[in-house]
Amino acid sequence: MSNNQYWKGLEELNKSPDFLQSKSNEFLEGIPMNEAFKEETYELSSSRRDFLKYFGFTVSSAAILAACNKAPVRNVIPYTFKPSEVVPGVANWYSSTCNACAAGCGTIVKVREGRPVKVEGNPDNKINNGALCAVGHAELLSLYDKSRFEGPLKNKVKAEISSIDKEVGQTLEEINAAKGNIVILSSTINSPSTLAAIGEFSKKYPTTKHIQYEEFSSYALLAANEKSFGKSVLPGYRFDKAKVIVSFGADFLGTWISPVQFTQQYTAGRKAINGMSRHIQFESNLSLTGSNADVRIPITPSQEGVYLLNLYNKIAASTGIPSLPVNTVEGPVNMIENTAKELLANKGKSLVVSGSNDIDIQLLVNAINIALENIGMTIDFTNFSKQKMSNDVEMEQFVADLNEGKISAVIVYGANPSYSYYNANKFKEGLKKTKLSISFATAHNETSADCTYIMPDHHSFESWNDHEAMAGQYSLTQPTIHPIFTTRQAQETLLVWAGINKDYYSFIKENCAAHVNGLNFNALVEKGFMESSTKEDPKSDKPASESNTPVVKHVAFVAPILTSKADLGVVASNLTKIDSDYKGKFQINLYEKVGVREGRMCNNPWLQELPDPISKVTWDNYVASSIVFASKNNLEDGGMVTLKGLNFGTEIPFLRQPGQANNTASVAVGYGRPRFDKMGDPIETIGKNVYGMVSFVNGAYSYNAYGATVEKAAGSYTLAQTQTHHTLEGRDHYRSTSLSKYTANPKAFQKQVEIISLWEDRDYRGHKWVMAVDLNSCTGCGSCVVACNNENNVPVVGRDQVMRGREMHWMRIDRYFTFNQFSENGSADKYRADFYKDLKVDTNNDGEANEKISDEAFENVSVGFQPMMCQHCGHAPCESVCPVLATTHSGEGLNQMTYNRCIGTKYCANNCPYKVRRFNWYRFNDHDKFDFHFNNDLGKMVINPDVTVRTRGVMEKCSFCIQRVQDAKLLAKRENRSMADGDVKTACQQTCPSGAIVFGDINDKNSDVYKLFNNERAYHVLEEIGVQPSVKYMGKVRNTFDEKA
Amino acid sequence: MNIYNILALILLLIIIFLFRIRRHLTKAINEKYPENQDPDWIVDAFQPWYYHLNKIIGLMTVTLITLVLLGGYGFWYSFKIGNQQGYQPDQPIKFSHQQHAGLYKMDCRYCHSVAEKSKNASIPSPGTCMNCHKYVQATAKYNGQISPEIKKIYTAVGWEPDSQKYLYEPKEIKWVRIHNLPDLAYFNHSQHVKVGKVTCQTCHGQVQTMKVVSQFSTLQMGWCIQCHRTSNVDVAGNKYYEEIHKRLKKGETWTEEQNGGTECGKCHY
Repeated sequence: MSNNQYWKGLEELNKSPDFLQSKSNEFLEGIPMNEAFKEETYELSSSRRDFLKYFGFTVSSAAILAACNKAPVRNVIPYTFKPSEVVPGVANWYSSTCNACAAGCGTIVKVREGRPVKVEGNPDNKINNGALCAVGHAELLSLYDKSRFEGPLKNKVKAEISSIDKEVGQTLEEINAAKGNIVILSSTINSPSTLAAIGEFSKKYPTTKHIQYEEFSSYALLAANEKSFGKSVLPGYRFDKAKVIVSFGADFLGTWISPVQFTQQYTAGRKAINGMSRHIQFESNLSLTGSNADVRIPITPSQEGVYLLNLYNKIAASTGIPSLPVNTVEGPVNMIENTAKELLANKGKSLVVSGSNDIDIQLLVNAINIALENIGMTIDFTNFSKQKMSNDVEMEQFVADLNEGKISAVIVYGANPSYSYYNANKFKEGLKKTKLSISFATAHNETSADCTYIMPDHHSFESWNDHEAMAGQYSLTQPTIHPIFTTRQAQETLLVWAGINKDYYSFIKENCAAHVNGLNFNALVEKGFMESSTKEDPKSDKPASESNTPVVKHVAFVAPILTSKADLGVVASNLTKIDSDYKGKFQINLYEKVGVREGRMCNNPWLQELPDPISKVTWDNYVASSIVFASKNNLEDGGMVTLKGLNFGTEIPFLRQPGQANNTASVAVGYGRPRFDKMGDPIETIGKNVYGMVSFVNGAYSYNAYGATVEKAAGSYTLAQTQTHHTLEGRDHYRSTSLSKYTANPKAFQKQVEIISLWEDRDYRGHKWVMAVDLNSCTGCGSCVVACNNENNVPVVGRDQVMRGREMHWMRIDRYFTFNQFSENGSADKYRADFYKDLKVDTNNDGEANEKISDEAFENVSVGFQPMMCQHCGHAPCESVCPVLATTHSGEGLNQMTYNRCIGTKYCANNCPYKVRRFNWYRFNDHDKFDFHFNNDLGKMVINPDVTVRTRGVMEKCSFCIQRVQDAKLLAKRENRSMADGDVKTACQQTCPSGAIVFGDINDKNSDVYKLFNNERAYHVLEEIGVQPSVKYMGKVRNTFDEKA
Repeated sequence: MNIYNILALILLLIIIFLFRIRRHLTKAINEKYPENQDPDWIVDAFQPWYYHLNKIIGLMTVTLITLVLLGGYGFWYSFKIGNQQGYQPDQPIKFSHQQHAGLYKMDCRYCHSVAEKSKNASIPSPGTCMNCHKYVQATAKYNGQISPEIKKIYTAVGWEPDSQKYLYEPKEIKWVRIHNLPDLAYFNHSQHVKVGKVTCQTCHGQVQTMKVVSQFSTLQMGWCIQCHRTSNVDVAGNKYYEEIHKRLKKGETWTEEQNGGTECGKCHY
């Protein structure tokens, strides 16, 4: 059905010779022969004598081994007094809160014998409902990072906590006596108790100022809300209640404010195909959110304002508000008209957001939402959010003061300005002028290197803390491991310095009472969170005082609307000026990547190995430019370019990115941070730091670099891209259609195939485990990939190995591009029809694209994501070719992999039509070259004890989390009950924010998975080859304009 | 040895006999008619080894037998590699199971308390020993002195017997592990003890008679499989098995193997 022709990368579309060669090989590279042969001569590097030596050694050692067949003495040491809650071999789960960002997702931490081995979302928490993002999972690995501080340091020399307390206390007293300024510089803090601790500190030292600084700031949103609504807060967005979502560059599914929460809301509004919301995205770089949009309109960063103005005028015209003066937009006028029409038809049920950090733009967005009556409906100020708090103006002032010597002491807590401040040298210089500089960092970072004292904080998994990420959502972090190093919780340090000798636990306990009515602290710890019963919907009439359960005290805030038209006049002229100034000029915007985000965990191997959802590049950032720009300047993928901003320049690899708006480029922040060794010396830098491109414009940090240039530089650098690895040869595996076509023909996803089987059908009458994946829900965020890494001890292989196509991920998310289909009738979308006039994307007889695709066309692509894991085929091709029966079939439909039998012939991988088998080329858990925490004792603590750590030379693949299946079965047996649907959740399913993955027993006729398998959108990938996969995919339905307008 | 091997052997013998007969006939003809001797190319070609045939066959037979014996021994021996049946190491405390489990009839699960809940049966913590040994000091046996073995527990937990208080820094006891399964095999005690209702003695032998515990079973895969093939699933009374048994519609007896208990993925993942 889907005559959309999908392709994975430009090399596939253009049929580059390298690609054609590599796709015909099973493995990108052959056996690593250069290790056995001399590189220059290709002669065997080992001689006959070597052979005899090794042979003799092997024989004799085998003889010795056989001769002394004695048991190695293995000791077993029991607890001296076993804590009653610990059962060796059984995991305990503790409720906590994720500290990877300030979104405040509730978590439950799996602890085995005193060490956390996995984090999952807390299913009861109202912010994330059990889901977690990739970053949340990877936070756990940073607990076992060997570059963490092992104790306090003074001038990089080991020091005692007590001596630091004494010295710092004295200096603070001196500063206080001289009325010197003290600044606590932190990232977003929404913890009431932390703020209270800072308050206590400020009480002792009244000249203290607390400044919140975010690397990737949303200050414009706060500032605009203060002007529009009188309060500097973020609203609670309700993407689930919006029928039409219009986003101007806000990557709310990937990185913006609270991605897990928004993803859940977003997919909730799209689960039911009939009545699914329509999502229109205007953006420059192809973001995760844009790639999920029904309609995506590529615009340049400078056009954003003028597009919004035009949209505002269209809405104003219909609602009787005076319009604003504006430049007309060149290009898709119909798009704006259509968007306005859609929005007006869904007043109070629509949502317009912008990711820009320009106050003018945010004011305009507020004005549009006010005109659309969305305030209180999809924009909820009652349950407002504290998930991103920062103040760009205060930060600017602070750095200026620092350089003027006005600041005497700086305490850095959670922020890293030496790395991320756009003028880092200015900050560093300023910091030198202070009398006292203290870092609370847990691991070596750029700012800690510049500070005199390092008083390391506990890692968040070792800490107590509380959070109020959303008004009325109170949650706790509890420690799940005894502090590994000599560290002290930052809040406690502040309290000690404030002269309060109280541990932070008791402090929270007391402070908590001020936030929760009828508090039972232990019950709160057990549950992990508490919410206010303030009614969610202002229009609902349930009284707040109805329930007897403890509730969070929470003052409702009703937003008064203060925006005046005079304000908007200035906004309009500012935005029009930007458009006129930069029209037609090359522009660059900075963005955050889904995995690495603002760069706090830049050296986290799980996040670095997670391929970028769009470009599928690992371990690097790069300039992603439009194809037009690349052709014009003769730039090639992997060539080095010079990126120049106002006061900044760097050499960085280049990549052509379909979907990038023409004549623009984008580059990700968060990279260019070194991995530090134990001593704090940088060992290797990942990517390039481009925070220098940020500028301070109009009272906020701007992430658009209008005047930047990209020029060809010497040299090249291969990016480790996974996008064309494990390719599926252009078969019809990703099926999509538009809503109108689907409504007309719901059976369209089904393909009639005649299957002749040579094999007898298996008999699954007990359990039969299957999985259903909803392509319509999957946003491609990659959370499942990291969850799988954690659950199944999947090793990280590093950039070099990824380039050789040896990534070990059991689960990958295939990303497909297709050119937007042009409108059949032409009238609905004239712009795009014109646009595609010269474009020929029809295929020739072999299904190959003709090569007459114009460069301009590449900005207008649709994207599809398809999670791909072992399909557990009923007639598995891998099983029949294994010479040693290492891969066999179970009576429950699982394709089992027995590592200790595998001899590594790789026949199975060769024969797998889905390319999901991974070969272990090295002993990653014990190899100096693969220094990704897996090879040292500290890093090994993250290993799941229920899953074998595979050795070199064996094949591995997705097991459908068989350890979880077995565990759930055993639990049912022990509890003397039959299994219920949902007893087994695979790691990927458990964490999926969009609920796209459902696993279960198809022999249970009441199970969700049974219903989904009988869904009319469900199809097997490659069903025509008759391997009877156990995974079904629900086809993607796009709610596009053309069909409905 | 199957029928084809025997046939091949017989055919080989027939060939050898035929050659011999032919040689004798040729010899007889040559003696009778020495003038029309035909050059026999077969005999010529094989002459050198043909004359030494007996020696060669003898040598080969000896080699073959040696190889078979050696190979057989190696094959048999390979099954013993890693097999620690009978392993009986010295333990840091001379704890006697015979006394505790045999004489005093203590339930195994009093000390190995999590065997019904966990994959491990667990070694009891010395704190558990203290439940009794705070008071039981076997002084009668040691002339009024506390037994030196019980003293070791006190050292481990930091107990001061005179003041009846935990005064000292605890010191761990390093027991020597007897039952070592390789990491690649997953075994769960609770499945067998709680669900399967297998007695401890089935795998661990008559521990209640052992003064020093030794490994009773081979703990090899063949041993596991053997039991899974022969033992029946105890369906009655377990709702999980009842449900699965109903779905499978197998006969009355239903072995562990029929329930998939010998599939690789049950233990190896």
